[in-house]
Amino acid sequence: MNYRRLLLPFLLACAAARAADLPTLWAERLKSVVAVEFYTETETERRPTISYGTVIDRNGTIILPSIAVNPRLTPDQLKEFRVYLPGSSTGVPAVYLGQDALTGWHFVRAAESIRSQLVPITVFAAKSDAEPAMAEDVWGIGLRNKDEDFMPYLLGSRIALVQSLPQRTAIALQEVAGPGLPVFNRAGEFIGLASSSFGQSFVQFSRMDRSGTPVILVNVEESSAFQVAAEVLPYLGRIPTNVFGRPLAWLGADGLQPVDPDVAKFLHVENQSAVVVSEVLEGSPAEKAGMKARDIIVAIDGKPLPRLKPDRVVVGYVDREVERRTPGTPIVITVLRGEQKQELTVVLGDEPRLMSEAARKYFDRIGLTAREFVYGDAVGLRVKAKGATGVIAHFVKPNGPASVAGLHTDDWIKEIDGVEVTSFEAAAQKLGEIEADLQRAEFVMLVSRGGETAVLRVKLK
Amino acid sequence: MLRFVLLGLAFGAVSATAAMSKGFNQLFDAVVRIDVREIAFEDGAKRFSASIGSGVILSADGLILTNAHVASPRAVELSVTLASLERVSAKLVGWDHWTDLAVLQLDQAEVKRRGLKFTHAEFGDSNRLYVGQTVYAVGTPFGLTRTATRGIISNNNRYFEDSNGVNGYETGAFNTWLQTDAAINPGNSGGPLVTEDGKVIGISSRGYLGANNLGFAIPASTAIRVVQALVRDGVITRSYIGIVPSALQDLEGFYALALNTGVLISSVERGSPAAKVGLRAGDILLAINGTKVDGRFPEQLPPIQNLIASTPVGSTITLTIKRGPLTSDYTVVTEKLESRVGEEWVLEKWGLSVRKVSRTFARVNQLDDSTGVFVIGVQPGFPADVAGLSRGDIITKINQQPVGSLEMIKGIHAAYEAKPAPVLVEAQRNHQVSLYVLKP
Repeated sequence: MNYRRLLLPFLLACAAARAADLPTLWAERLKSVVAVEFYTETETERRPTISYGTVIDRNGTIILPSIAVNPRLTPDQLKEFRVYLPGSSTGVPAVYLGQDALTGWHFVRAAESIRSQLVPITVFAAKSDAEPAMAEDVWGIGLRNKDEDFMPYLLGSRIALVQSLPQRTAIALQEVAGPGLPVFNRAGEFIGLASSSFGQSFVQFSRMDRSGTPVILVNVEESSAFQVAAEVLPYLGRIPTNVFGRPLAWLGADGLQPVDPDVAKFLHVENQSAVVVSEVLEGSPAEKAGMKARDIIVAIDGKPLPRLKPDRVVVGYVDREVERRTPGTPIVITVLRGEQKQELTVVLGDEPRLMSEAARKYFDRIGLTAREFVYGDAVGLRVKAKGATGVIAHFVKPNGPASVAGLHTDDWIKEIDGVEVTSFEAAAQKLGEIEADLQRAEFVMLVSRGGETAVLRVKLK
Repeated sequence: MLRFVLLGLAFGAVSATAAMSKGFNQLFDAVVRIDVREIAFEDGAKRFSASIGSGVILSADGLILTNAHVASPRAVELSVTLASLERVSAKLVGWDHWTDLAVLQLDQAEVKRRGLKFTHAEFGDSNRLYVGQTVYAVGTPFGLTRTATRGIISNNNRYFEDSNGVNGYETGAFNTWLQTDAAINPGNSGGPLVTEDGKVIGISSRGYLGANNLGFAIPASTAIRVVQALVRDGVITRSYIGIVPSALQDLEGFYALALNTGVLISSVERGSPAAKVGLRAGDILLAINGTKVDGRFPEQLPPIQNLIASTPVGSTITLTIKRGPLTSDYTVVTEKLESRVGEEWVLEKWGLSVRKVSRTFARVNQLDDSTGVFVIGVQPGFPADVAGLSRGDIITKINQQPVGSLEMIKGIHAAYEAKPAPVLVEAQRNHQVSLYVLKP
């Protein structure tokens, strides 16, 4: 990893921070902040991950930023969650509750024993829902690494800009908190939650080697942007009831592309935004409601899409309008088709089975994890989902027999030993038999990659 | 990895025997240098470039054989330097990128008016070459006119296929190559590879850059057919059914086949004639129109491909296919083989270079059909660039009308040129559809 901690604890120099009550505010608010450690177990690896979390209720529920978990992992690959208080070297067990699609947060619940030492962030909610103002002084908490017992330290800055991305997001002059940790104003009121992917980056040139390539360092442990409290507090109740975060609303309009102001003007939809639908997915609610590829969405439930900057942000806006609703809810989508405006009433459906929900099995001797073919695979491969068979090579062990035969991750396995793979179970059984047969010297798979097919011969001896 | 690059072969001829050979001298006087001025439509502008290749005169009326990557339809000016060092202009008779061959003809009127003299070469039998046989490459390496180098035939049946080997066009599916260690350098391209008696047994075409003396030539047996067809028709038309054959190698046991029987169909292109009748990847092709095929090794694939390609377009072919334990016949109707690379043009006022989407390009890129043009470049600061179009976009509609042909888009561009007004462009990239406005 090229990431490196860059900043040492930073002390706020302005007058506000020197206010006599800051140590008191600090001590109280530190109780809303934890470090969360867990292990991710893959076919051949087991590695720890550290993330920061904010306490949201009296039941020990903690939210982690979406970036905390690699989206390729399934919930059952996440093991041994532990919650650490700042400055503590011992953690307590916790359970993983799942991810919420709308906010992206992962929810974790800490063991009973620690809950009395935690204070939900809601306790510090501001009395008014006013957004942070330009140049306002703000401060937050950073946590050091595990080797330093997650020692807390003070970060602070001033607001430079508040923008809709599409959530209202405040950008500060410099880092204000660890990603996923709360940000406060000088009165100690909670005003937002620090975003991930907003760390400062630095280019470092070598002093020794004048022609050396500069190294880009990204500060991933601190963030200089945060989503304002109004984007956080109303959503804290979205605690998943299952690890996959279902129910998940599904529209089925794919490849949304924003239009720029020139195009909007040409289409006579000025002072607002619009998105082009690249594809309407097979069997989706959008298809059932009569949506067509190349329709241009201009309004949802009668409300024109807002003009957000940059143009790209409006796609997130549309996605969120779907995600905040539940399956079965009607949603009225106004589209521009040619010159005509049309209103389509779409009854949102249930998101088809996700890759993270797909059945999978690892075959060590072959060096392959076979995964059930799901709807999303059909979309990615541009094939009809209905009637599609085969399994996906979800993991190919480097230099294992399957890898040596030329199999790549995400290849689509259509036949094993000349027999068409009709289901995941059939494939798993077949591969299991091959693996168990120690006399077996080789077997053959027919795989498809990027529309091309090849016969691969896997040598087991 | 070695980079396989287009070069051209040089031929060495310092052998006393060869020098004394009348045949060789006649050949040497038939080898020409070809200076090419080419147009390119990249980066949203017309650009011209110059290059040098070699060729060999085949007839008294001035037909010249060279490489397709030397003289293509992009050539706007072809100037031939004869053995007498006189220069004369020539025109393209036809080209075939699949075999990397092109035929030019000297400007007869000019030859006559100036009273220019030249000899012409004769083909030898490339099927009778043996490995170790001495051969010479003659050409214009690095512009050094009439350079001969000497080597041997290193391999007389080399398989080499490249999907963009001839200036972005496909090559090598229908022929194998001669390999030689005669020194080959850039500029040798299109020059002849000859035996000691001066008979043309190949056309030098390519070499490995960075390797020592690994050069490749198109065998005369292929060249003779191609020249005939190009002189007669100006083009070579081939049939296509959409199967991608691959060598069985050691898979016979798995498919329960006798050795040296059948060829593996490793892929069937979407929407192709073969796909329409239900052929699938993993099928074994046993016979074409009753003729048994043997595709155990890659070197055996080009003749099999040729068997299909050489049938007339629209003809019916019977394929005997083994799938699992079953063997059955499938009847397919061939289509015309098309390159992935369509015709190119530049729309100068928009600073936009485009290439027509061909049927093959559409198949390879999983597009619904061949509607549209592929953006090959934009010029910074021009309307297409300002609107946000870039290389790789596929323009499918202009002003809400599907782009069915280059002529259609040229027409709208001409109207814009006459009276500039905003134009709405619909384009897709990785199947994501976006809209753009080209503004004056």
